[in-house]
Parts: sequence; C-alpha cells; structure tokens
Amino acid sequence: MEKIVLLIPGIPIAIAIILSFIKEKEQIPKVNLILSSMIALLSLCGSFYVIYYDKPIVGLDGLVIYNELSAILVPYVAILGLVIRKYATKYMWDEAGYKRFFILLNFIFASIYLLVMSNNLIVLALAWQLMSVGLYLLVSFNVGSKTAVKNARWTMYIHKGADFVFLLAVILTYQTFGSFDLVVLKEQWLTLSQSPINDPMIFTVGLLYLLAAMMKSAIVPFHIWLPYTSEAPTPVSALMHAGVVNVGGILLNKMAYLLILTPAVLNIAFAIGLFTAIFASLLMLVVSDIKRSLGYSTVGQMGYMIMEVGLGAFSLAVYHLIVHGIFKASLFLESGSIIKYARKDSNIPERFSDKTFSKESIKYENSKTFKLIALFTIVPVLAFIGAKILLAPEFFEFNAAIIILAFAWLTGTQLFLSFFKVSKPDSMKIIVGIITSFILILFTYEYLGLTLEHFLYGKDSLLFYEAATLHINLFTALFIVALIMIIGLTFIYRKPYTNSSNKEPNQTQWKFYRFLVKEGYYFDIFKSSKKGKL
Amino acid sequence: MIANVLFLLLVSGLPYYVFLEKSDKFTSKSIFLLSALMLFCAILLSFFIHNTHSELLVVISFISAMYSVYRATKTTNFYKLAYYFIYINAPFFLLFEEQGAFYSLSLLISLIGLYSIANFYEKHYGSANYLYVRGITLATPLVGIHITVYLISIGLYPPLPNSLFFLTYIFNTEADLLWYIVVISIYLGNFLVSMKVLEKSIFGKTNPNIHYVDLNSVEKITHFIIITLLTLLSIYGIKEILVWVL
Repeated sequence: MEKIVLLIPGIPIAIAIILSFIKEKEQIPKVNLILSSMIALLSLCGSFYVIYYDKPIVGLDGLVIYNELSAILVPYVAILGLVIRKYATKYMWDEAGYKRFFILLNFIFASIYLLVMSNNLIVLALAWQLMSVGLYLLVSFNVGSKTAVKNARWTMYIHKGADFVFLLAVILTYQTFGSFDLVVLKEQWLTLSQSPINDPMIFTVGLLYLLAAMMKSAIVPFHIWLPYTSEAPTPVSALMHAGVVNVGGILLNKMAYLLILTPAVLNIAFAIGLFTAIFASLLMLVVSDIKRSLGYSTVGQMGYMIMEVGLGAFSLAVYHLIVHGIFKASLFLESGSIIKYARKDSNIPERFSDKTFSKESIKYENSKTFKLIALFTIVPVLAFIGAKILLAPEFFEFNAAIIILAFAWLTGTQLFLSFFKVSKPDSMKIIVGIITSFILILFTYEYLGLTLEHFLYGKDSLLFYEAATLHINLFTALFIVALIMIIGLTFIYRKPYTNSSNKEPNQTQWKFYRFLVKEGYYFDIFKSSKKGKL
Repeated sequence: MIANVLFLLLVSGLPYYVFLEKSDKFTSKSIFLLSALMLFCAILLSFFIHNTHSELLVVISFISAMYSVYRATKTTNFYKLAYYFIYINAPFFLLFEEQGAFYSLSLLISLIGLYSIANFYEKHYGSANYLYVRGITLATPLVGIHITVYLISIGLYPPLPNSLFFLTYIFNTEADLLWYIVVISIYLGNFLVSMKVLEKSIFGKTNPNIHYVDLNSVEKITHFIIITLLTLLSIYGIKEILVWVL
C-alpha cells in the first residue's frame, strides 16, 4: 500500500495530460490545485512512513526510492509547488498561454520529483534532461520578448552542458563500478572508502558530477543563466530560485559516498563554492537591477551550499537549500506587493530609494519587541555555547565548523538587512539584529543541522568530514572569519552612509567598483569574442 | 563490405544533396522524400542483413554529417532542414549497427512530422521558410506545440524516443575514441541545430501583416498519428532501457 507514494512523479504528468483536454479556463486551476494537493498529502504520508518505520519505500524494481532524502525533499517540493501553483492561478490569468504554462509547470515538477526519488543513474539522467527542456520552455514562456528568448537560449546551452557532462559521468560510473543502481553503488563506495585508493578514474567521475552540479546550480563561471532569467513569469522565477538551482546539491548528496573516495574533488568544491559565495554576494550589492541582484544572491547562496558539500557537510547543504528556497520563493512571490507598496502612482514606478525604504520603512512602535527577541535568543544561546565549551570542546577545534559559522554570520546579516531596512536612526537595531541573527543561525545550524545529519546519514556523516581533508589551522580560520566580517561591514553596513559628494573614491576603489558593476567583465569577454577580437 | 557500402549509401552517409540541390529536377521536397525513402529501406534491410560497422565508413559519414550541420545552420527552410537531419544522423546508424535501426526509425518519424509542418507552411504561407512567419506559438499554439515536439525529439531530449534509444545504445556499446568523437559531435550537433530552429520558428511576436492559419482536421489527424507513433516508440524505448538496466 505504501508503494502508492512512488507514483508521485507520475501525478504531475497525469495533471498535464488532463489539463491539455480541459477547455474551460476556470477548470484549469481547480484540477491543478486539487491534484497537486494530493501530491503534497502523499508526500507527507510517505515521509511519515519512512520516519516511523525507519525504512525506505523501494519500488519499480528498485528504480525509484522514497528514502530519507526523499522524505525531506519531496514534501518540500510538493508544498512549494502547491504555493507556486496557487499564486500562478491569479498571476497568470490574463497572460496568453495560461494552459501551456500549467502543463509546462507540471512537467518540470514531475522531473524534480523523479530526480529526487530516483535510485538509478539512468532514471536520474532522464529526469536531469527532462528538467532542462522544461526549464527552457518556461523561461522562454514570454515568447514575444527577444531578451527572454535570448536568455532562455543561454539557459539551455548551460543546461545542455550539464546534461552532457552528467551523461559522460554516468557512462564512466558504469564502466568503473559496473552498476547503475545507487544502493548497490553506495555499498561499493562504502567498502572502497575503508581502504582508500588513488584511482584517477574515480577522481574524474567525481569531478564530472561536481561539474554537472555546478552548471545546474549556477556556480561561477556557469552562473550567467540565473541572474538574467528574471524576465520569466514570477512563479517561474520562484521555482527556479527555490527548486531548479537546488538540483546540484541534491545530485551531490546522492553521490556523497562517491565523493568520500575523492577528497580532491571536495576541496575543489570548497574553493569554487567559497569564491562563488563571495563574488556573487559582492555583485549582488552593486548591480543596479533588483531582479539581477536577487539572482546573484541565489548564486551566492548556491556557492555557499557547494562550499558546505566541500567541507563534507552534505546534510547542511540539504538544510541550506530548503531554507534558502523557502526564503527566496517568498521574496519572489511577495515582490508584487512590494512593488505596489513602492509605487505611489500605479503607472509610474518610483525608484527603490531611501525615501521608500528608509524614511518610510516600517516603524516598530514598540522597540521592546526587538529587545525581547534579542534577550530570548542571546541568553539561551550563550548558555548553549557555554555548555558546548564544557562538554564538547572539540566543536571549536573543528575548522569546518568555524568557517560555516562565518558564513552563517553572512547569511544572518543578509537576512536581517532584508527584514530591518538599513537606516541611520535604526543603526543600533541593526547591530543587535546582526548579532542576534548570527546566534540564531548558530543555533539552527547546530541543532537542526545535526538532527538532519543524523536522519540522513547516521554515523556515516563522520566519514564525509574525514574525507574533506581541507585542514586549516585555528589562526587561519579566525583570520578568515575576521576578514569576512570586515568586508561584510564595509560593504553592507557602511555603504548606505557614504556620501559621494564629500569624498571622492580613489582610482583603485573606482577600478574595483567598475569591475563589480561590470559583473567581472564576464559579458564583455563574450561580446569581444563575438566581434572577433578574441 | 558490400553491405557496409550499401548501408552508407542508403542512410545518406555521403552528402548527395550537394549535387541534387544543383539539379533543376530535384526540389527540396523531393530530396527529402528520396533521402527518407532510402533511410527507410536501410532500416528494413538492417533487420535482414547484419551490419558490422567499418571505421572508415563511419569516419566518411561523420565528415559528411559535420558538413551537414554547417549547412543546417545556414538554412531557414523546413524541407532542407528535414533532409539535413538525415545526413547529420547517418553516422549513428553505421556506428550502432542493427541497434541503430530504432533510433533511425524514430528520427524518420520526427522528420516526417517536420515535413508535414513544411507542407503546412508551403500551403498557407507560400513557402516552407520559417524565418518570416514568427509568433506561431501565440497565434496558432497547436502548430507551435507540434514544431516543439519534433525539434525536441530530434534535439535528443527525453521522454521522446530518439533520446531513449540514444541512451540505450550509448550504455550498450563499447566506447573507443571514434565512438566518443562521433557520439559527442552528433549529440551536440543535433541539439544546436534543433534549438536554433526552435528559437527562430516558434518564438517572436505575432505579425499583424500575416494571416495565421491553424491546422485543419486532416492535418490534425496526420500530426496525431505521428505523435502517437512517437509515443509508442517512447514506450518501446523505455522498455528497452529497463531491459538493459534491470
């Protein structure tokens, strides 16, 4: 009976087929929402089964599986899908191609479910490619817009690259290990990890999976498709930023046991993730287009996620992609309300200036609320840290944890700056907010991260940390933390108060600023290449 | 060897169209029909004659295929495009031996779909040139859907049969350097050409100076049959994959 859960990837396809026969426009959202609610319910039942009976649901001759990873990700995608569908019901009502939109949306959801639930590399390859084509058609949904079509083309090229690299990795995996079954492969990889071998083929396979994941997750230098695809309908943007870009992290989690055998690949993932997180976050702060800014924010978060994988914190990457997905989807879906708030005249958009966001920002009548939040988080967390130092001092000797905390601080800063807008009178609030957010995230990462880790990988998680052989001494780690904090404060906190009329930036500052505004001259290279200069 | 050469000729492993295009007797439509008929004969023959691939002939057809990719990127005519795709995919047939028959069959059916679209364009818009008939998706969505399905099928995307047979074969055959070169080049070649055409044919704003016409009943039935055949082949393709995987 529980195997009915394995039908989840088929339900969106059934919805798409039913929708294609419906002629009355009013019926489309009803069918769509009722049947997609069924997916959400089924996924919750499946997760309950996996958690309660502590065993996965395997079916279709082992091709699909509802395991611990699915138990977390499928309900997340299903509920996110339900929200996006509900939002799109009214948002897309007056758009041409209403039915086409929902059919495509269901196809892409089917591919995401199949990807999460696949237990076989061939099924994974099919879902991986199906998602690319679904995304292309959704990104180019606004067929009349030249820029939308052009950006969709770039999206397609990069995703095709990911498909190609992935297929190559699957072929090599089969040639090296002789199986497509992920459960069988996991056992093999675990056995191999007990007596580590230095096989260049295993390194190549691991590197190819990492490359494929990087392309789908918009990691630098494959990031260009994400910040420029915001012309797609808002529900598609929400889906892209909360669902599609996460598949890289999902793939790497599925390949976690392979990556134990290739510590060098984990180190590469860490380095590229770190660079992406910093570079994209800086670009996010300087680009003038709000949608591109959101795009770069997602790229930065994906860099962060890949970096976590590079540190062996696979379960943290899952936690991160879920939390980031919820946060970013809500940002996109509420963008309409913000625009409405920002505009005085419904036809003339007022600039997103200080006037809108600082002086007229939401005033907290009762500032005690904020102090109470701070009090109720700081005190227990200080107690927690104290207990941790006494009971488990090795936590602070764990270099990866220190670096994660630094990035947790960055995330917290972003989070709180979004909630409590930057303005001079509120500067004390911001300082307390940053500290509070840091502590909150420390708490979350420690408790939720560990719970998730225990649920997903049990004792095996220690193997991942051991495999991530990037050893940084405490001094370097603290130096990195300090550096990140200084950069963060300089760019995030001081920037809004800089009065350009009083102080002219020097030549180096200008060059650096220009480099960032030009998005690292990435597109200039392409343009030069097109004109035959390169 | 004779069988190999016969297959090379039948599957369009040599670019005959270069000469046929110069002849007044052959139109683009007839070149496609001739090439499709020859490919169909090759598919039928492959069930009776064992075809072991000769590396030299694969290399020859590969060079021809690369030239056809170049030509396909230059054309805006659906008929020409349809037969260029036959020439582009010829090395697959030769490389995958008798296993390539089902791949070629699904390719042929997708190309017949593209040919029907070309006929539709010629009948209603004066020529099979797609470049100036923009906005198809918005004006006549059904035509847009059919073009999308055929081109995505040729561009090797699942769940359409070309991709499924392709996947089965690439996991099922021994890979060597030639295999990698041919498979990678043709895989990307098919994708690049079909995506280029997809972008230029179905997207764009509707043109108020064009009187858009939707498919009539006969055309709808034709396309329905083609899509049904592709669906049946997809089911067979999935079965083939499962046999291999399990």
